[in-house]
Amino acid sequence: MTFWLTLAGMVAVTFGSRYAGLALRTELPAFCVRFLHFVPIAVFAALVTPSLDGDLGEGEIRVVGALATVVVARRTKSLGLSIAAGMIVFWLLRIPF
Amino acid sequence: MIARDAGLSLVETQALSLFVFAGSAQFTAAGLFATGATALEIVFTTFLLNVRHVLYGLALGRQVRLDGWRRPVAAFFLTDEVFGVVSTRRAPTFGYLLGAELSLFVTWNLSTLGGGLIGGAIPDPTKLGLDLVFPLAFLALLVPLVRTRVELVVALFSGALAYVVAQMSSGGVPIVVTGVGGSLLGAWLTRGRPVEQARLEDAIREVA
Repeated sequence: MTFWLTLAGMVAVTFGSRYAGLALRTELPAFCVRFLHFVPIAVFAALVTPSLDGDLGEGEIRVVGALATVVVARRTKSLGLSIAAGMIVFWLLRIPF
Repeated sequence: MIARDAGLSLVETQALSLFVFAGSAQFTAAGLFATGATALEIVFTTFLLNVRHVLYGLALGRQVRLDGWRRPVAAFFLTDEVFGVVSTRRAPTFGYLLGAELSLFVTWNLSTLGGGLIGGAIPDPTKLGLDLVFPLAFLALLVPLVRTRVELVVALFSGALAYVVAQMSSGGVPIVVTGVGGSLLGAWLTRGRPVEQARLEDAIREVA
């Protein structure tokens, strides 16, 4: 039930934002535009660090896997390849331990 | 697939793609559901991530004539990618806009279904270390966005802030605090610089 309430809220704010822009005819303040530019950067970064450690005490090798993801993401910009690289490095490092 | 690992059912996962239809917000919501964030935190984070569509709407509203039923329809399917494609056309029509929107909508929903079926078939994700897919996915989304020094500063600051806040609180609090704090820092660091159209279009391609 909570899920569907949450979903309804998500739909409301998403559709609201999309509709408001098409309906309004005005300029946003420059500070808002700059703020919005940084929202995905801040939110994505916030979703990385807290769950990087994991619950099984494998923090170090998980971070090494994450570094592999960064390297591949810089080169390919492919989401799938970047995740795969990180997971493969992590699983390879996991074997000896 | 990520949503299934977060404990959402196949129907719930698909519902996100069908009704919300916003990639970054869906990924983020899945991550937040997994950490046990409250509904309010998830909705607020979605709002933070999707308010940028106001910008696209403002620009598109000037390019394409949309009245009556066409406006809500065009709005529902509006995404970064659609704006990226349509805004580069000289005289886009409603038909062109809707075509771009629907082709993306169908592709996105089919891949959600595929990922959902695969994700649900994996028995014990955490033991296999599959929970690492979460941070890696967001890292892979983040890296292409970071191109200037200020963006790097904001990313590092946000990562550190979220890590610290997560030690003291749980659920969606670190994401909400960091989303607002990191963005404020970025806006403050770039104050006084002109906001050109080119930069806005860059932002779209990055997020897409």
